[in-house]
Amino acid sequence: MKFKHQVAVFSILTRIVLIVVLWFVLPVLVEKVVFRHITTSLLEKKEKFIRNLDNEEITNFLSDNSMDDTYASFSKLHSEFLQLSRLPDNQLVKQHTVFVTEPRIIEKEENEYRILQYFFKYGGKSYLLEIGNNLAQVKDLYFVIRFFTVAVLIGLVVLTFLLEAFYIDYLLRPFYKIIDLKIRHIDNPETYNKTVIQTHSDDFKELDLALNQMMERMQDVIRKEKQFIANVSHELLTPIAILKNRFENLLQNDSINDEGQEKIVSSLRTLDNLKKIINNLLLISKIEHHKFLSDETIVLRELLDELLEELDDRIKDREITVVSELQHDYRFMGNRTLMHILLFNLLGNAIKYNRKAGRIVLADGFKNGMYWLSVTDTGQGIPADQMETLFDRFTRINLQVEGQGLGLAIANSISRFHNCSIEVHSVVDEGSTFTIRFQSPEKAN
Amino acid sequence: MNIIIVEDHDELAREIVTYLSSVGHFCKIKQSCRETLEEIDRNPYDLMLLDLGLPDGDGLDLLKVVRKEYNKMGVIVITARGELDDRISGFQLGADDYLTKPFALTELGARIFAVVRRMHGFTLNELSIHGFSIQLQDYKVKHGENAIALTKKEFDVFQYLVLNKNRVVTRLQLTEHLWGDILELNADSNFIDVHVRNLRKKLEHYEKLDWFETVRNVGYRINE
Repeated sequence: MKFKHQVAVFSILTRIVLIVVLWFVLPVLVEKVVFRHITTSLLEKKEKFIRNLDNEEITNFLSDNSMDDTYASFSKLHSEFLQLSRLPDNQLVKQHTVFVTEPRIIEKEENEYRILQYFFKYGGKSYLLEIGNNLAQVKDLYFVIRFFTVAVLIGLVVLTFLLEAFYIDYLLRPFYKIIDLKIRHIDNPETYNKTVIQTHSDDFKELDLALNQMMERMQDVIRKEKQFIANVSHELLTPIAILKNRFENLLQNDSINDEGQEKIVSSLRTLDNLKKIINNLLLISKIEHHKFLSDETIVLRELLDELLEELDDRIKDREITVVSELQHDYRFMGNRTLMHILLFNLLGNAIKYNRKAGRIVLADGFKNGMYWLSVTDTGQGIPADQMETLFDRFTRINLQVEGQGLGLAIANSISRFHNCSIEVHSVVDEGSTFTIRFQSPEKAN
Repeated sequence: MNIIIVEDHDELAREIVTYLSSVGHFCKIKQSCRETLEEIDRNPYDLMLLDLGLPDGDGLDLLKVVRKEYNKMGVIVITARGELDDRISGFQLGADDYLTKPFALTELGARIFAVVRRMHGFTLNELSIHGFSIQLQDYKVKHGENAIALTKKEFDVFQYLVLNKNRVVTRLQLTEHLWGDILELNADSNFIDVHVRNLRKKLEHYEKLDWFETVRNVGYRINE
């Protein structure tokens, strides 16, 4: 999971928890606040009422409704009521205040009330003062508050979440840019781009810097390695030249018998192998060093015809049938010498590893607008466990067949030099197909 | 022919001299630019074999001087691969030909022949051997008035052996001459034998070929 998604999931979860908690806690809190408010206001009303209370008034209150010794008054919409009643004389009352919440019926309408009950004595008589506050409205209010709060919260959550997502995305952009430009698309440390990626985060600046430093070290190592290969090759080629020419001169010497001559020839062959290994390593090193130009128009079909002619005697010798299923006349810019070597190696392998009287099929086509060329043989195939190391240097599929195991390594370097890739498909005992995929779009028909 | 060899590896230079002397050339070895300039100032040479990596300067500068002041002298550049950037071919440097180390002495012989022939304005157009004549300009072989139809490879083999007559030419030298040295697969090939067999068959039609020897396990030799 990506970092920004992890952050997003986390912030969504925490916000959901927050909303759920508020949904349950909010009514309790609101109730507490509202009840306190009601309590205070009820007490105030009581104080006001008592302060103004005197004997006469009580009498007045009670005498208005003298039938049952109770005085009651209520607001028009039944939001409040006040009731003073006389308690039976034999009921001894200590002066105290209690709060209760209970339903009352006022003018045939039942409502939940918060009621202050004040028991007191006045003039030797016991009274009960009740002041009530209708809770129906408050209950309505609870709902409104709860709904409103949650709605606002959800709005805020969505808004902050979006802002956060955008911001994290913005912050992480340099990070992905670093990955993209400096890691993913670098297959050759020599072409590494050291441009500093713009970012406001120090962490990414540090990452960028560390990557640049690492790449510089790698470039240095690679440069030294290549220099080393070039130097060693050069130093080795001169002694080989001396030996080769000395043996060649020695061969003309009449005093050397047949056995001696044979040994000289086989020494020359060994030297030749040595020379080829060195030259091939040098070639790879040079290709990877981009010491070749890529400015020739290569007509693939012409090149293939030329190669088939060159390899004609080998093809005939092994009684191989070459079938061309080429349908396009593909041209591209590249290095002709190198492409010659690449195709030579592929065709050479297709001959070398083919069975006697086998077939070689050349085919081509376009996939996603990109050209491909394939060489299929009917040879021994490549075991799956050798596929991975196939393009490594000094890999040999069949030790019986002569070679140095550099052909495919060179082919691979050349194809990379031309922005191509080589794919292999192989079935043991049936044959292999090597496909060169050109990465650049079609340049000609 | 007078040939000056500019090569600082003494052992290599001496092997080259051994070969060139055996085919009738007169050679002198010089190991530095300065010595070479002194020598060519004093004595006339037809050809220079020039190694580019010299101790006292760049062989390329020497080449420029030679091209300017001794333009009748042929120059064959000898390089170790890696020394010369492949972006510049030897010809662009102004050399008549170039060879990369290590090279076969027979190849050197054939290249010298070609350079000299070109320097003389292609006045030499024919090589003769035992009644056969090799037409260099149109790649044909004749026996008397009869044209012999040879493939290109057969022609090349014949010409190469004639150019190196009286010497054993190994299969490897022939292979390298015909297919170049990029090949990984032909180090030990017997394809050359097929071409030689076919060539012999065609030539035998006109002459007894006792002068066209097969040196067992080594190669071939054409004796004059």
